[in-house]
Amino acid sequence: MVERRLGILLTAVVLTGLPAGKLVAADAPRPPSHVRAEDRGWDGGDAVDVIVGISPDDKPDTDPPGVAHYVVRWSGEYGGVYEHAETVVADKNAYRSGEVRLTFEQLELGEPYFFRVRAVGPDGSESLHVETAREAAVRPVAQAFSGRRAWLVLITLIICGSVVYFILMARRGKPLQIRKIAGLEAVDEAVGRATEMGRPCLFVPGILDMNEIQTIAGLTVLSRVAQVAAEYGAHIEVPTSKSLVMTTASETVESAFLAAGRPESFNEDDVYYVTDEQFGYVAYLSGMMVREKPAACFYMGAFFAESLILAETGNSIGAIQVAGTAMPSQLPFFVAACDYTLIGEEFFAASAYLSGDPDQLGSLKGQDVGKVIVAVLVIVGCLLDTLNSMTSIEFFETATTFLRDTILKSG
Amino acid sequence: MADSSSTPAVHTPVDLDRINVILATDCGSTTTKAILIEKVDGEYRQTFRGEAPTTVEEPAADVTMGVVNSVTEVGELAGRRLIDDDGQVIRPATETEGCDLYISTSSAGGGLQMMVAGVVREMTAASAKRAALGAGAIVMDTIATNDKRLPHEQIQRIRELRPDMILISGGTDGGTTTHVVQIAELVAPAKPQPRFGGEYRMPVIFAGNVDAREPIEATFDESVELSLVDNLRPTMERENLGPARDMIHDLFLEHVMAHAPGYDKLMSWTNAPIMPTPGAVGNILQQIATQRNVNAVGVDIGGATTDVFSVFDGTFNRTVSANLGMSYSISNVCAEATLPRILRWVPFEMDERELRNRVKNKMIRPTTIPQTLESLLFEQAVAREALRLAYVQHKEFATTLKGVQQQRTIGDTFSQEIGGQTIVDNMALDLLVASGGVLSHAPRMQQTAAMLVDAFQPEGITTLAKDSIFMMPHLGVLAQVHAEAAVQVFERDCLIYLGTCVAPKGAGKPGKTCFGFQVSGTSIDTTGEISVGELRLLPLADGETAEATIEPARNFDIGAGAGKTVTRTVRGGTVGLLLDGRGRPLDLPEDRTACRQAVTDWSNALGLADLARLN
Amino acid sequence: MAQAYTPGLKVTPHTQHRVRRILPISGTVLKSVGDRVRASDVVAETFMPGNITPMNVANMLSMPPADVPECMLLAEGDTVEDGTILAQTKGIFGMFKSTCASRAAGTVETISNVTGQVIIRGTPLPVQVTAYVSGEVVEVIEGEGVTVESDVCFIQGIFGIGGETMGPIAMACENPEQELSADRISDEMAGAVIVGGGRVTGDAVRRAIQIGAAAIVSGGLDDADLRDILGFDLGVAITGSERIGLTLVVTEGFGEIAMAERTHRLLASHDGREASVNGTTQIRAGVMRPEIVIPLPEGSTPPESDNRATEGLLETSTPVRVIRDPYFGLIGRVADLPAEPQALGSESRARVLTVTSADGETVVVPRANIEIISE
Repeated sequence: MVERRLGILLTAVVLTGLPAGKLVAADAPRPPSHVRAEDRGWDGGDAVDVIVGISPDDKPDTDPPGVAHYVVRWSGEYGGVYEHAETVVADKNAYRSGEVRLTFEQLELGEPYFFRVRAVGPDGSESLHVETAREAAVRPVAQAFSGRRAWLVLITLIICGSVVYFILMARRGKPLQIRKIAGLEAVDEAVGRATEMGRPCLFVPGILDMNEIQTIAGLTVLSRVAQVAAEYGAHIEVPTSKSLVMTTASETVESAFLAAGRPESFNEDDVYYVTDEQFGYVAYLSGMMVREKPAACFYMGAFFAESLILAETGNSIGAIQVAGTAMPSQLPFFVAACDYTLIGEEFFAASAYLSGDPDQLGSLKGQDVGKVIVAVLVIVGCLLDTLNSMTSIEFFETATTFLRDTILKSG
Repeated sequence: MADSSSTPAVHTPVDLDRINVILATDCGSTTTKAILIEKVDGEYRQTFRGEAPTTVEEPAADVTMGVVNSVTEVGELAGRRLIDDDGQVIRPATETEGCDLYISTSSAGGGLQMMVAGVVREMTAASAKRAALGAGAIVMDTIATNDKRLPHEQIQRIRELRPDMILISGGTDGGTTTHVVQIAELVAPAKPQPRFGGEYRMPVIFAGNVDAREPIEATFDESVELSLVDNLRPTMERENLGPARDMIHDLFLEHVMAHAPGYDKLMSWTNAPIMPTPGAVGNILQQIATQRNVNAVGVDIGGATTDVFSVFDGTFNRTVSANLGMSYSISNVCAEATLPRILRWVPFEMDERELRNRVKNKMIRPTTIPQTLESLLFEQAVAREALRLAYVQHKEFATTLKGVQQQRTIGDTFSQEIGGQTIVDNMALDLLVASGGVLSHAPRMQQTAAMLVDAFQPEGITTLAKDSIFMMPHLGVLAQVHAEAAVQVFERDCLIYLGTCVAPKGAGKPGKTCFGFQVSGTSIDTTGEISVGELRLLPLADGETAEATIEPARNFDIGAGAGKTVTRTVRGGTVGLLLDGRGRPLDLPEDRTACRQAVTDWSNALGLADLARLN
Repeated sequence: MAQAYTPGLKVTPHTQHRVRRILPISGTVLKSVGDRVRASDVVAETFMPGNITPMNVANMLSMPPADVPECMLLAEGDTVEDGTILAQTKGIFGMFKSTCASRAAGTVETISNVTGQVIIRGTPLPVQVTAYVSGEVVEVIEGEGVTVESDVCFIQGIFGIGGETMGPIAMACENPEQELSADRISDEMAGAVIVGGGRVTGDAVRRAIQIGAAAIVSGGLDDADLRDILGFDLGVAITGSERIGLTLVVTEGFGEIAMAERTHRLLASHDGREASVNGTTQIRAGVMRPEIVIPLPEGSTPPESDNRATEGLLETSTPVRVIRDPYFGLIGRVADLPAEPQALGSESRARVLTVTSADGETVVVPRANIEIISE
């Protein structure tokens, strides 16, 4: 009923060309000053922005308020059936700019949309409506890039850019400083000890298969260990628990011996398969360690419950032990029982560290930039949120929201 | 005494209480120096000295002639007849003639040159090198399984070298045999020739894995003289250098010395075995450090080589930097350190092209001396860099043992240190002793002190001294026979104390406070403040001591930790108390003008030179 | 004590010079006593034992080292070719035998049952020794080499680079002060020993290398040029093995310095004659200086007692040259020899002497900084 009456009234207003406000009852607020609908730029073509100019009666800090809220209705056809779409209240920003913005999402790409808005007084009385014109139909259009992901683009550019930058720097021969990783420096020492004592070096590449990134990182270290062993003329043994790992390890060791100029010292039988069974493998290793007393033990890869069994056995036979894993739960055991431990990232950085290859060094350095960005965001976010909850300064709230909703959600 | 030439008096027991007169000689490659030590008022003092050219080479070819000449000079000065008509040292001492004890060292004919071998370069080979250097040898090369040379290159190298002796080590006891035998298999076919002709068989010492002795004996044939001694690295955790060192000394006397002209005679004269000069220097330094419970560093900079000795927590180390010296090797110092780094220490501009020519001219005419102040200061700048480089080499060599198992706790997660860290700690250093031409003959003592401080950069509180007349070798041998006499003479006559250097570690902004000080003694009572970059000299005479309280600023450490105050007794000397606020490590300004200004300021503060005279 | 000894360099117009030409290891001597030899004649030759190739047969055949001797197909001393089968395993029932081939040609030197290593000694490398100086063989050291004697004019330089070479003397500078620059070197000087005067420039050295001269002898050289020629900063004065294209001998020192008058005169008097030059320098204990040896024609008479080397007594009016800055290169006569040490500009005390130069200037220098020169 009300709608139809208002419709007639509006038609009357349009027809007479008189201001609508003058014709409505005194208790109803004056209508919004205008309404405009725009396609949202840099999106997938599923959103439009509707901008409503607030009613002249809508003033802040009046009691009772001149306008309680605005009701937005929409339709797919000009002059058709306008359905209730959204109710919106003017906030501080709206009073400042004189406009209320709202966004409609999940719309049909390319379909026309029409809007009508009324101001509603505190007593529920509605003003006349303002609407988008027939020729101003808004149709959501799709763009190539999504603007919401701009921050993601920026962060990606910074990280990738720094990777590329550092690779180029490294290729040009600029020395890139990498912190000394004690565990990798100690390879010479451990293998040297084994050489002097006439005992073998033992290398355990973890209990997971080649699809595990830690196993691959472990084999990179193996290549280094094998090369040193070849140079020193030390005996290296690599028992594995996965057949694929055995094949890869065998290749790795052979090429390391070749690189060291001692291909004839490589013995295929030193890299072998034991069993897939976790504890069968561990039992074999423990037994072998106690019998042959290797002077250097390397545990590089993914480890589970066996970590402490291996490390303790190695410690008891007096070996220099170097471990490397990214398993957080096993790290404390290795740290306590081994001489040197490569912790998580160090382990993955090993290949760049060992090879000194400019491309690898550069990407390592570039990734560090990414880590720095993440660390900075975490710290800034924590600080902002803390300040926001402790104080009522609007800036902190805005910044927190911006960081959380715009920057972080851009991914 | 008449038959002493046929029966060596080396092991003659001596009653220490009855020794009143001691004669000591050091046969260097150019001069033989003799000193006389006498008991004066119950204390041993060095009384007279004499020197004569060494007579190892043709035409004399008998080292004892030089010894007799130098001893005669001492005798004449002392008014005591020391040599009898047969040309022998008179013993025992009476009121007017003879001496109770005669000892000697030798570095004539290039000293003792050795080649060492081991399995792993950083482990047994390094231990072998330490043993050889500690015994006073020059190590010509180190052969190891991992020295990155192919076997035929190693053999070629062994052939080219003509060492006096070879030391082979490798493997812990019960450890590797294969590697050790492999090394021996390289040495044996190379048939190394001894330096002094083919008259004697090459002495080879095996100080490795006891299990490898049999195959080693089988590997070498009759052409070498093989001696087996205890393993110098019985386990990875322990070094046992004593037996190998003693064997080197024995073989040095038996083979090397015995074939040098006149040494058989000299050996029969002495009351203690003749020692290689650097070995003796190391010996006395070790003795002093142990007795006073201090950490000491000694340096001897020569024309061709620089020797650095250190004793830290009782561990002795010696290195020889073969190509760092002030005449023959001066050009190499410039090549290694580069001219710009040397010129940092020069307070005025110099033309590079001309300098390069000067340096090379000094190299080809090593005996010339700087005539002008300008060239003296340049030479001292070179000395600073030579000493610095030699000390860097020493630090790299003097390390804890490598290949030792570490014990860790969770606390070590982010602070894992690898083995083989240097044991040289400038903060723990108590005594720094200088000897060698450029240091001991500097016209002003301040120059010697400045060179030491700039090159070694001692941290905390360090006493500086110099060897007055290069007496340390003599005292080193004496220490083996009569330690008390050696220490007394060392204290009273050998060292000239330059003073004490106070230098906190850390860095700060120039002009800000570095440390506050309060010094009180019999002749001095003063307080003050040293700012960052400042150098100040307080007079404190030789023989005097003072109580010094040093209050370092927040980011500076004088030994007790950053910002912690330290009170210590400091020793005076011919230079005095040197308060150094330049920070450690010592960085000179990059900009040449700023650098020149800084060096000029320091020079003026210490009174190093009359720089106004140059302009 | 109005004298001092300075270790001067030998510059003599006539001396009986003997050179020992010895093989590094024993070999065959090709000449006998009394033979006349030319500088380029080979006097002795030998074969250096070849390079050593160790092969770890135990590892290659996956067997314990102790079994290696049993499996060897060859004995110590046998000749092998590259690829010859060295050893073979016994296999299983005579099957699945694996073999190991030699990686080098030569002879089997040793077979070790401790390391499992077989050492192959490569084919010998020929080593020849030439006479270096023309003359007469006066001694044969059996199996090692010969001693060649000849009457020569002998000149020592102070510093050199490059090894032994020979060629006719070609004078490029008329007087000892003249700088030896590139334009003084002509194409006809190919293969010659070019004698300059004062400093030789870097360009001149490059030009000489380009035309293929045998050697350059001159008074001085800039260290900066030396570095350019060598390609590195020379640190230790042990030279002789450089391969720069010629042998370079500096007679006086580094920088702007004239060749000694006498040396220049002597070289000029032998213009066109064959000379042997060796740049090998070793400034250490057992010092070696570079040398220029000019064999004199047979029957040349020893000159009238002018055999004074540049060493001797330092007395008043002795001609000397200052060899250290600030008066580097100054030539004059000793005017006074005070006995007492005096303080120098550097504040050190040293024994000094006064030198009066040709233009009447008088300077005081430490005695260590001069050398006696011959007239």
